[in-house]
Amino acid sequence: MTTTFKESRRDFLVKSAAVTGGLVLGIRMPGLAQAAGDATEVTHWVVIQPDDTVVIRIARSELGQGSFTGLSQLVAEELECDWNKVRPEYADVNEHVRRDRIWKDMLTGGSRSIRDSQEYLRKAGASAREMLVAAAAQQWGVPASQCTVSKSVITHSASGRSTTFGKVASAASMLDMPENPKLKDKKDWKLIGTSPARFDVPDKSTGKQVYAADVRLPGTVYASIVQCPVFGGKLVSYDEAKVRSMRGVKRVVAGEDWVAVVADNWWRANQAVKALPVQWDEAGNGDVSSDSIMQFLRTGIDAKDVPVARKDGDVDRAFAGAAKVIEAEYHSGYLNHATMEPQCATALFKDDRLDVWVGTQNGEATITAASETVGVPLENVYVHKTHAGGGFGRRGPHQEYTRQAVTIAKEMPGTPVCLQWSREEDIRHGRYRPVTLVKLRGALDKDGNWIGWHARQADQSIIVTVRPAMIENGIDPINTRSFRDNPYKVANFTNEYAMRNPHVPPGFWRAVAHTNNPFYRECFIDELAHAAGKDPYQFRRPLLQGTKDLAVLDAVAKAVNWNSRPARGVHRGIAVVDSYGSYTAAAVELSVEGGSVIDVKRVIVAIDCGNVAHADAVNGQIESGVIWGLSAIMHEDITIKDGRVEQSNFHDYPVLRLAETPTIESIVMPSGDFWGGVGEPPIGAVIPAIGNAIFSATGKRIRSMPLKHHGFSYKT
Amino acid sequence: MSRIGKPRVRVPESAKRGEVFEIRTMVEHPMESGFRYNNIGQLVPRHIVETFTCTYNGREIFRARLHPAVSTNPYFLFHTVATESGELVFTWSDDQGGVATISARIEVS
Amino acid sequence: MRLDIGRRRALQALAAGACLLAVRPASAASAELDPVLREVFGGREIREGRVTLELPRLAESGNVVPVTVSVDSPMTPQDHVKSIHLFAGKNPQPRVLDTQLGPHNGVARVSSRIRIAQSQQILAVAVMSDDSAWSAAVDVVVTITGCGD
Repeated sequence: MTTTFKESRRDFLVKSAAVTGGLVLGIRMPGLAQAAGDATEVTHWVVIQPDDTVVIRIARSELGQGSFTGLSQLVAEELECDWNKVRPEYADVNEHVRRDRIWKDMLTGGSRSIRDSQEYLRKAGASAREMLVAAAAQQWGVPASQCTVSKSVITHSASGRSTTFGKVASAASMLDMPENPKLKDKKDWKLIGTSPARFDVPDKSTGKQVYAADVRLPGTVYASIVQCPVFGGKLVSYDEAKVRSMRGVKRVVAGEDWVAVVADNWWRANQAVKALPVQWDEAGNGDVSSDSIMQFLRTGIDAKDVPVARKDGDVDRAFAGAAKVIEAEYHSGYLNHATMEPQCATALFKDDRLDVWVGTQNGEATITAASETVGVPLENVYVHKTHAGGGFGRRGPHQEYTRQAVTIAKEMPGTPVCLQWSREEDIRHGRYRPVTLVKLRGALDKDGNWIGWHARQADQSIIVTVRPAMIENGIDPINTRSFRDNPYKVANFTNEYAMRNPHVPPGFWRAVAHTNNPFYRECFIDELAHAAGKDPYQFRRPLLQGTKDLAVLDAVAKAVNWNSRPARGVHRGIAVVDSYGSYTAAAVELSVEGGSVIDVKRVIVAIDCGNVAHADAVNGQIESGVIWGLSAIMHEDITIKDGRVEQSNFHDYPVLRLAETPTIESIVMPSGDFWGGVGEPPIGAVIPAIGNAIFSATGKRIRSMPLKHHGFSYKT
Repeated sequence: MSRIGKPRVRVPESAKRGEVFEIRTMVEHPMESGFRYNNIGQLVPRHIVETFTCTYNGREIFRARLHPAVSTNPYFLFHTVATESGELVFTWSDDQGGVATISARIEVS
Repeated sequence: MRLDIGRRRALQALAAGACLLAVRPASAASAELDPVLREVFGGREIREGRVTLELPRLAESGNVVPVTVSVDSPMTPQDHVKSIHLFAGKNPQPRVLDTQLGPHNGVARVSSRIRIAQSQQILAVAVMSDDSAWSAAVDVVVTITGCGD
């Protein structure tokens, strides 16, 4: 493992701009350009090699959602390079900090990667193109405006001359970077909106993909960890003597609420950490259970005064004058991200330099956590991003695995340490989709029109743990979504929010509040429709006039042939939800055999995300979103007993299986004048559509998840 | 009820006249900002150290007015010119009437 | 593989690379601070310069961020720093710390640890014995608050 401090600053920058640790190690890191010869950084976004290979720097993380490819398309569209020679590469995190955060935001979350970066990435491509053309034009002594560019070839047809990017890259890099280049009209896009082969898929399919757990440096040792099983507790003591003589064991390292055993392989480390006698201080949370948590939530529903998130009209009057009032309580529990890759980080501390390999959703969060934990300045910390084996929000703001790995590495200077959480630790020490309990009331007039509603939430806030400045008057702006910002034109509406935070650590589970609030809302709207004796789809339509929600709702209704009778035994459900800047709707067809065995046959999701970068990636996000939502409503459930999580692995925390996956149809209908997210939006409408279809099939109204708690099982 | 705790300072034992020396200070205090929420969404009341002073043989050489953004267990590092041997007295006072004080001697030759 | 980032860009990058502790000329204070600055400094013009504000560019939680403010001053009875102040415009309370100094301090340098509620610009202002006011500003990113939502 080489270090580069002895070299001049410029040489250092040159080297660090070229590679991540991968080349030094002789292993192939994600998307690393493997060409020989001199490469030139035309701009910090675009590196051109003499053979015209174009290396595009990617600031965000590839989590399987396709951002490595989609983000490259945005740059390449304007760059007018030969797409076949494009290689994306992660922008180096250390260099990013040294160069004043030159690659802007590295966070991959909130369905923001494409929509937040599309403009500056297209400008990045356009700037580089203008510089390359200007360099060629200068060499030829002709105006740049007379030159054309296509597939990395610059041509001056008047004089019959042409050259390639590789030949003028060096000269181009000397020129000033245009700050505000002109961008193409959408109608001229050749790459954006298409579906080129994804860069990440081949290695993932052939087993060549290097994940954090696959990083192998000479002399690597392996650590397995146990953390205090009761959240908020502390480590009191442990008896190292009991495991020191176990085979392969090298060290035992402890933190405030964890102990790790380091050994020559992970199996031995894990055997030892499981055998290690440990004493914990449960900090008074040892009595908490799912039942006590529900009671705690109920105090929010029953409270006298609850902060008001939204108030339209006068719900009390609406209810007083209503012909019919219905009331229902919905709730949902904790869920774990259950990423295919359990949390893992490899760290090496040597000569005041810290290297970390991890599948992070935010390179800046990792470099900062590592720097602060070990006390090494940011400029001496190197984060090597690996593609994550699933992120879903687990790997962004929460960096405890990074802090643990670097703490262990600091105890063993010069030795690379691979800290791999067991699946059990991963299930039991998640950052969970929080618990919520909602009381809904709705009012109908004598004609069955929906004239008012009231949503009171008792809800565990996530944002209060990371950014309390966003809370105003006790109201969580994220967890009130789908109620506070609902699109229905109903004159009288009050949304109240009672924060109730149990000791279980909350986190951003893919789609966050849009995994449960839409379930409550869209199912309750169906309850209102049925109470009014109306068709749920027709019931919604007049109240969504003038919204983009209506178009996607109409699209799925049409696709499923809502107005016609389904086949015998087949029942349908429908729902519409907007989130993360996009508009989605779902229609579901299922059957229920023997009153309890569910067979989901078909799920149709329509999305209006404004514009599309990689077309097939949107289909992929819909498919994965449907699976994510189905898994939540069908199977997933984290329960608490004695202050700790009861589940530990996929036998008691099952997720959706391939055999249970229905036909999924996606309708991608980008209406064009905005850029909406795609990662999370497809999930919101799926869960309530299932709930609504089950009601149609059985007459049973489901008001909590998962379905197995209601006596349902799943047909495979 | 003040939750002010123990102070700690680091002052060199001796210094040469005219030399500028470093002083490090800390006091245990939650510095409850008043912007944190309890588990039912209510603001936890503010409780912070508001003033910190340092005197050198009775002469004030440093004064700080703290606001809620100073971190828990407020820490200050500052300097002073060694003039004569004597006593440095450090005093913190908080918004609940809590006071902590500590002194340190310095020999100046 | 050798990578040439272009001489001009290398020089720019070097300049930026040297700024890890963000010892930067202050940019204009964000507008949200104007009322507070008026309250504290009256109508004084606050000029950029003479002040060095050291802060990490990134902080994970923003709960304990080390900060050092130094001011270029001979600290004589005729020419010294009277006070050093810190502000965080996007904190719920923008005033952070006010310190009083004098020639007896020998050097105008104060360190502390502060809370930064979210990514924002931190401002340090020093008032001199001639009543002039000087400043430096640094942008700090708080990574945990970037929930991406």
